[in-house]
Amino acid sequence: MGQRIALPRTRALTASGARRRRRALWPYGFVAPAIAVLALVFVYPIVQVVRYSFYAGSPGEAMTYVGLANYRNVVADPVFRHSVLNNVKLLATVPVMTALALAVALLLNGGIRGWRQFRAIVFLPYILPAAAVGLTFSYLLQRNGVINAFLHDVGLGSLAPDWLGSTRWVVPSIGGVIIWQQLGFGVVVFTAALLALPGEVSEAARLDGATSWQLQRLILIPQIRGIVEFFVVLEAITVLSQVFNYVYVLTGGGPGNASSVMEFYIWKNGFSLGSVGVASTVAVMLLGVAGVLIFVYMRVRARAASA
Amino acid sequence: MKARTRGALVLAAAAGLVLSATVAACGGSTRPAANDSASAGDLTYWYWAESDAPGANKWMQAMIARYEQQHPKVHIKLVPQSTDTLIGAFKTASQTKKGPDIATQWATLPVLTPAWTGASVPISDYVPKSETANWIGTQENTSDGKLWGMPIYLLGVPFVWNKQMFKDAGLDPDQPPATFDDLLATCTKLKAKGITPIGMGNKDGYMGNWMFAIYGKSSLANIGELQSAMLGKAKFSDPKFSAFYTDIAKLRAQGCFNDDISSLDLNQGWQLFPRKKAAMAWTTDGNALAWAKTLGSESIGVAAPPKLGDGPMADTYDTTQSSSAFITSWSKHKRAAAAFLAWLHQGPQLDAWYAQTGVFPADKRFPDSKITDPLARKLFELDKHESVWLENYLPPQVDQNADLPAGQLITSGSGTPAKASALWDQVIQQWKTQHPDEFQHYQQWASG
Repeated sequence: MGQRIALPRTRALTASGARRRRRALWPYGFVAPAIAVLALVFVYPIVQVVRYSFYAGSPGEAMTYVGLANYRNVVADPVFRHSVLNNVKLLATVPVMTALALAVALLLNGGIRGWRQFRAIVFLPYILPAAAVGLTFSYLLQRNGVINAFLHDVGLGSLAPDWLGSTRWVVPSIGGVIIWQQLGFGVVVFTAALLALPGEVSEAARLDGATSWQLQRLILIPQIRGIVEFFVVLEAITVLSQVFNYVYVLTGGGPGNASSVMEFYIWKNGFSLGSVGVASTVAVMLLGVAGVLIFVYMRVRARAASA
Repeated sequence: MKARTRGALVLAAAAGLVLSATVAACGGSTRPAANDSASAGDLTYWYWAESDAPGANKWMQAMIARYEQQHPKVHIKLVPQSTDTLIGAFKTASQTKKGPDIATQWATLPVLTPAWTGASVPISDYVPKSETANWIGTQENTSDGKLWGMPIYLLGVPFVWNKQMFKDAGLDPDQPPATFDDLLATCTKLKAKGITPIGMGNKDGYMGNWMFAIYGKSSLANIGELQSAMLGKAKFSDPKFSAFYTDIAKLRAQGCFNDDISSLDLNQGWQLFPRKKAAMAWTTDGNALAWAKTLGSESIGVAAPPKLGDGPMADTYDTTQSSSAFITSWSKHKRAAAAFLAWLHQGPQLDAWYAQTGVFPADKRFPDSKITDPLARKLFELDKHESVWLENYLPPQVDQNADLPAGQLITSGSGTPAKASALWDQVIQQWKTQHPDEFQHYQQWASG
């Protein structure tokens, strides 16, 4: 009897538990396709890249497991070290472009006549493809190109080096092109942030006798600090891991590897020479550095959103 | 339980079938498919030649149209390749075993390395010896007793000079510099008259390759010596291999090159000569003939490049088939591909090639009598000399990562010859560790 009574209870309990479990699993069922797609598109390639970093050779050929040898060899490779150094040098463009973008945005925010048109003009380079920009500047910056011809014409011939053909000038020249193109993005972001500020604070400062310089330095810039930080981190990521187009089109990494950056090093080894193991090794390293920056970026973004 | 086991077995069998089908689809086969006919099939041809022989793309388009008309069941899609992605694009294709039926690579190592990894099939398995025996330069693409690539044309590298500019500088217009010392002396005289002596471009690094190909052999006794350096048995920094960098650096230091050599590509640098902005250049047969049309054939002289060094190979000329066509292992229409390639070597097609490009076909059947232009005859005579294009014997990784940038270091003045040769040794070591399989094949191939 006890068994006869207990059985339906157990069944009832089991049935309701199963329903609860099913209910608990439902959301996972809904997100499963998205997770599967994400795993296929992102996780699988990342796992493969990490796996290849322990092999020599190329997929499709005989690949040999080499353990950490790729990491050791890459770190010992002067061309790789030089590429990393170039990435670090190019990071110097971030404060320059931030300061310039901020200056232009504050100028436009001052309400000069035609500021919208000026903003559009400054933004224009940003929407151009990096390859087109690189190609154009590769002609402009030739030893006997337009820029040097102009410098010679105005009597500044001594300031006309071989911008892309000398190891001394090639990285600063690439940096200059990056600043020229990315500046517009900063101007638009900062202008939008300045326009969104409540007018009362500025008005009150003016009534208190603040000069224009004090108003901008002590009132406006601190209010958009979160946006400035966001821009700095975003541009740092761009300069670190998205400058391949500029280098490829402007210099091809030359002269003599002088302008190689990490991305170019990856491309050259992986795609041009089939050394997929080496390319994967550097990709893993770059992923790590970019990951740290992305983490910082997300923190800064969250702080900017809550500010 | 039995049902479960049966289910698992069915699942495993299905997975096995899917897996084998996938592997079969992905992997290539070196055997012709059952439906492989010489006169039917859709072919994709990755083609490169325009840079060596202006007009080559037009010729190939015309030949494809002609062939399709004669063989209605064959369709050929032509995909011209760019110089800087030629090796990389095919590397990617060979990793996935998808892409062209016929591909183009530069002769020797760029052709043989895909062969060693099973990405191509021997063309000698598909084209009879009676035909391939007529092709010139087949030794450049032979490995394991098989021929892996087909030559189409000959790329000779003459030294050209502007006779009028020589006259203006008080030089004998019919006396080109025969040695490197002569070249330096000629540069000095031209510079004194405000003439840029040599017009070249090395932004892309290819001029550096040429300098290696022409002058890297100046102290070598044979190809085996270079191969021993690639195999790590000798150091490239040994002056036997790298002393020529000192001489190129001397040319630069003396202002023999145009001042923008580092900001112009090889092709851009060449344009200085026909625009009368430079008095001398190393170039191709095709360019020399084209420039003769621009400047007038009486204004241009052609000769073998000034000699450097006194090694047994220093006297060899510099002719190669440059690029070679080969059949990929994954092609489903290997016979059709081979039939088309062999057809390109027949009389009317060779005549059309010569008429379109002015570049000599790499075929013994092409009669000398068709070369009537005196300048062209002179170039053809030069091409007949004993020749070695040294760059062909470099593994692609060494060529790209050492040969190109090392030359740039010298022509841009940003590196010393010692630094350039140290880069070679370092890259050779990297190649050995990064491509152990290729290294082994190279070793076997080098041992004969």
